[in-house]
Amino acid sequence: MAGPVIELTEVSRYYYMGEFVIKALDNVNVRIGTGEYTAIMGPSGSGKSTMMHLVGCLDTPTAGTIYIDAEDTSALNEEDLAYLRNAKIGFVFQQFNLLAKMNALENVMTPLMYAGYPMRRRKEIAENALEQVGLGDRMKHRPNELSGGQKQRIAIARALVNDPSIILADEPTGALDSVTGEQIMDLFEKINSQGKTVIMVTHDPEVSGRCKRVINLRDGHIAEDR
Amino acid sequence: MFGEFVKLALKSMAYNKLRTLLSLLGIIIGVASVIIIVNVGESASQSIQEQIAATGLETISIFSRTQERSVTREFNFELAERLAYEVPGILTVIPMNQINTVTRWQRNSYRGTILGVSEDFAWANDYSSVVGSFFTDADSMQLRQVAVLGNSVARELFPQGSAVGEYIRIFREGQAKSYRVVGVMERKSASFNLQYNQSIYIPFTTFSNRLVNTDVVQSYVVRTEPGVDVLAVSDNIEEYLTRLVGSGNYSVFSPSNIAELAADVTDTLSAAMASIAAISLLVGGIGIMNIMLVSVAERTKEIGIRKAIGASPRRIMVQFLIEAMTLTLVGGIIGIGLGIIVSNLAVSFFNWTFYPLVRIYFLAAGFSMTVGVFFGLYPAVKASKLDPIEALNYE
Repeated sequence: MAGPVIELTEVSRYYYMGEFVIKALDNVNVRIGTGEYTAIMGPSGSGKSTMMHLVGCLDTPTAGTIYIDAEDTSALNEEDLAYLRNAKIGFVFQQFNLLAKMNALENVMTPLMYAGYPMRRRKEIAENALEQVGLGDRMKHRPNELSGGQKQRIAIARALVNDPSIILADEPTGALDSVTGEQIMDLFEKINSQGKTVIMVTHDPEVSGRCKRVINLRDGHIAEDR
Repeated sequence: MFGEFVKLALKSMAYNKLRTLLSLLGIIIGVASVIIIVNVGESASQSIQEQIAATGLETISIFSRTQERSVTREFNFELAERLAYEVPGILTVIPMNQINTVTRWQRNSYRGTILGVSEDFAWANDYSSVVGSFFTDADSMQLRQVAVLGNSVARELFPQGSAVGEYIRIFREGQAKSYRVVGVMERKSASFNLQYNQSIYIPFTTFSNRLVNTDVVQSYVVRTEPGVDVLAVSDNIEEYLTRLVGSGNYSVFSPSNIAELAADVTDTLSAAMASIAAISLLVGGIGIMNIMLVSVAERTKEIGIRKAIGASPRRIMVQFLIEAMTLTLVGGIIGIGLGIIVSNLAVSFFNWTFYPLVRIYFLAAGFSMTVGVFFGLYPAVKASKLDPIEALNYE
């Protein structure tokens, strides 16, 4: 296994609510290597969402340092963080979070637009990505014309389209029935086998059971890492 | 990216047509009123200029303003020649007297103006005959009783045509005098002091010696040399006349003078009105700001998603700015269309020729886009500063 793609050193994230301080994450150290398949588990309020937001560069820590591909993210401003999210991280959400007014193809093309690809190239790459997730025949459909499983496949295609090194999935099967959920998990395994680092935030033991590494969070601390 | 955001903006406008239209109403009305005011103003100004130009821009008219003998005796036939000789830039000066009276031919009669003018009158006013010709210097010198008919006069007196060679009778103090018709003039639109078509022209000498018997000249028509500054010549004439009879006893009119004055007045008026209308554009901008704020609030989730997949704050801002600009540009274009239609109707209502000021259309389109940027800036900045996590969790 190569060097860590993600490294959290003494990372804390506090929320200040008047006089109260909520320590969502408190002095956490984690290293995740390239190509790992990791589940982050824990009850609600344990800090797993906060950790995902921090790893996904949607949030910045109160203290500590996060390295993505050995790059210190605390030195980056909002513009650079957006660039980093675009290039290195692909998000998959429980509620899919597709752009409702756009069809499947346009949704998948959007990250490519922010990456600066010309129109024709965008279309090629996006079509290819949709083929990969088995939606080659649904490209012109809007999200509201598709099933939950199909929507999640679009979201996965969108996450993969810029060829990021990290896929961050937040309860990706949470809104799906068990059969569809299985299929989506198969897809993640396939993606992982192609060399992508996959991190899955879940509280479903069936999901974490399929991951190679499980990090258990409790009250902002790592309770277990196996 | 630019094209995509324009497409996206048009899409979301089409999605909620009524709301789009209502929020654009301010811009539409503002742009339309600017276009209407400018187009109607320009057409009015041009048609005034046309009427003035019909008078002949190279002519100057001089009138005596008093009956006082000390003044009127200076307004004589010789003054015409003296002016032409002593004021530079003058081609010729035509003395002109007139009376209103009745003229008859057989059983037809016509009440109108008899103008006594010198033989230069026709060419000095760029006025030609359609049948026969204007009278000559020989007619003038020999005090011949000849007449040239304005176009309408000829039609009234000779409905069957062929007036030339016939004798008309001009009535004056109960006496009728016969005049031989030597020509009929073309139609020519009226100037501020001459109804060309409704007048009968006879030699000035005949008028002063045989018809009325006077040594006074009521007015003069000055034709300037081509290319000279008509206003300067007009000033020099005034100076000359002031020395001769004192200011206030005469009037000098030049169409150029009037044209300039009219142009100034209409320009100032339409500029003032257009600026007021432009203010309504700013008011329209507030409508844009409002709808953009609503749009940002409604699309918080979309902004969150875009940020998560790699949109930087600057790009979110650009997206919403383009959207505001597209919105106001569409409003501007609708306003320009509406303005063109309404100004066209208004101008044809007044029977003017339509003179659209096309550069105003581009200015209006540009200005509405500027309004879009100006009033879209705050909502766009607000969108760009949204926290990605909060925006993502927004329902």
